[in-house]
Amino acid sequence: MKEIIAIIRPRKVGPTRDRLAEIGLPCMTAVAVLGRGKQHGIAGEVNGELKDDAVTSIGQASMRYVPKRLLTIVVSDEQADAVVRAIIEINQTGKIGDGKIVVSDVRDMLRVRTGERGEAAIA
Amino acid sequence: MKMIRAILRPETTDDVADALTNAGFISMTKMSVFGRGRQQGISFGEVHYDEIPKTMILMVLPEESVDQVLGIIRAKSYTGNFGDGKVFISDVESMYTVRTGVKES
Repeated sequence: MKEIIAIIRPRKVGPTRDRLAEIGLPCMTAVAVLGRGKQHGIAGEVNGELKDDAVTSIGQASMRYVPKRLLTIVVSDEQADAVVRAIIEINQTGKIGDGKIVVSDVRDMLRVRTGERGEAAIA
Repeated sequence: MKMIRAILRPETTDDVADALTNAGFISMTKMSVFGRGRQQGISFGEVHYDEIPKTMILMVLPEESVDQVLGIIRAKSYTGNFGDGKVFISDVESMYTVRTGVKES
């Protein structure tokens, strides 16, 4: 099993959720977080549109942290690649601030309702 | 690569973030969380709080930088009292930048 942590723009959560539901993986956890990347946080992000000079204007009107959504999705090994590709496809605007996707291994899992363990708890 | 999740006192996270910036570790994600440790929350006189507000910092780092970052976190977040927090370190298989779609290591 793989845990996929995606840190994306808040406005892209809806489209991402719809796309993942299309490929049959509707389960996710979303958290509102603050973050910054190599650019030390940037201006103009709240409206979802990035000003052309946003990165160069750091220090004048920049934000220390940018609001983001963190999605946690746990899927089986075979599905991990498809999920990563779907997230990239939906979230790629080509502008700074599109986010990161982190994939790591999950050894075990428990479904609370039934007590199922491992792969059986995902499906 | 390693992912570190540091659960720290909210009042120290800005100091930690500034120190990390100075050391060249700029990318991070932070979130507000509630938690408790072995002390089962905290009591002030009659009032008992089950869960204490904390800030969680999430970073993905190359393996060789982990010790340096832990050192910075510890230097800035340490008070010596219960509640200074914990840092969890786990393996990361791969990381992608969404903008470019490139897999990083």
